[in-house]
Amino acid sequence: MGILLVGVLAVVGVWYFIFYRPTHFKRDVKDETAIVVTAKDIVKEFQASESEANKKYLNKAVEITGEVSETKKDQEGKPTVTLKSEDAFSNIFVTLKGDQQLEVKGGATITVKGIVTGFLSDVVVIDAIVTKQ
Amino acid sequence: MTKKTIALFILGSLFCVSLYSQKIYSTKSAQIKFESSTATEDFEATNNQVDSKLTDKGQVMFSLLMKSFIFDNEMMQDHFNGNEYMESNKFPKAEFKGTIVNIATVNFTKDGAYPVMVSGTLTIKGITVKESAAGIIIIEKGKVNTKSTFKIKLKDFGIKGKDIGTVISNEITITVAAKYE
Repeated sequence: MGILLVGVLAVVGVWYFIFYRPTHFKRDVKDETAIVVTAKDIVKEFQASESEANKKYLNKAVEITGEVSETKKDQEGKPTVTLKSEDAFSNIFVTLKGDQQLEVKGGATITVKGIVTGFLSDVVVIDAIVTKQ
Repeated sequence: MTKKTIALFILGSLFCVSLYSQKIYSTKSAQIKFESSTATEDFEATNNQVDSKLTDKGQVMFSLLMKSFIFDNEMMQDHFNGNEYMESNKFPKAEFKGTIVNIATVNFTKDGAYPVMVSGTLTIKGITVKESAAGIIIIEKGKVNTKSTFKIKLKDFGIKGKDIGTVISNEITITVAAKYE
């Protein structure tokens, strides 16, 4: 009887931690302490040394404040917003979580909190929420 | 000047004009998916922040961040980025640079779906491999979209890991969809 119980618990445990939990509990930046930075500064840091900036920001929660240059939707319908830096060719490309409503248009200054995935021509931020608009 | 040199001069000028008047289409939100299918498990991951450029002369480029690939299962995503597989901290990007071999068959001013062949180099984990793929360029009301599906072999890019060949297939199917502006 004891062995059966242990067996059942083991199966449930494996199912929960390997199959259920990783697909049902997603990382949420809302619960995380973020590195606070401006759009201008984070772009400068990536331009000065991409490898150093990657060490500091990659996969981290970051709260970025900047001026909106454009808003769009990606191919899955999630809102995207570009925040300006001082370099016209290199900005912050933010993809918001699907449930986020973006009221602002170009020119407004907003703050978003999301996860940095790296630097292409822009600093790329995903799974973001709007914390101030 | 003879008629011949004048003709050559005109031709030459036209050639220069056409070189410098190439149009560049770009997007920062192209989509790249990959799929693995084995008897044990099927899974896919999607990246919606792919940077891409295409010129009407046939030059094409895709650039992406490994950490922008989203899996349904977050644990798989961590394994994918971890040291056993992609080492995304060390190799944060992947890139494709190439040319559309039969670009002359695409009329960018006429709506239609044009089959194309792309040939170029794909760099993943710091290893560059020649790849070619069939795709399609769709012109609709002045908008340019591209789609392509092709397969790559993980071992070509030095991607190892104990689950490859069992849980993860040796060949991964890549699907690209870009909507240019």
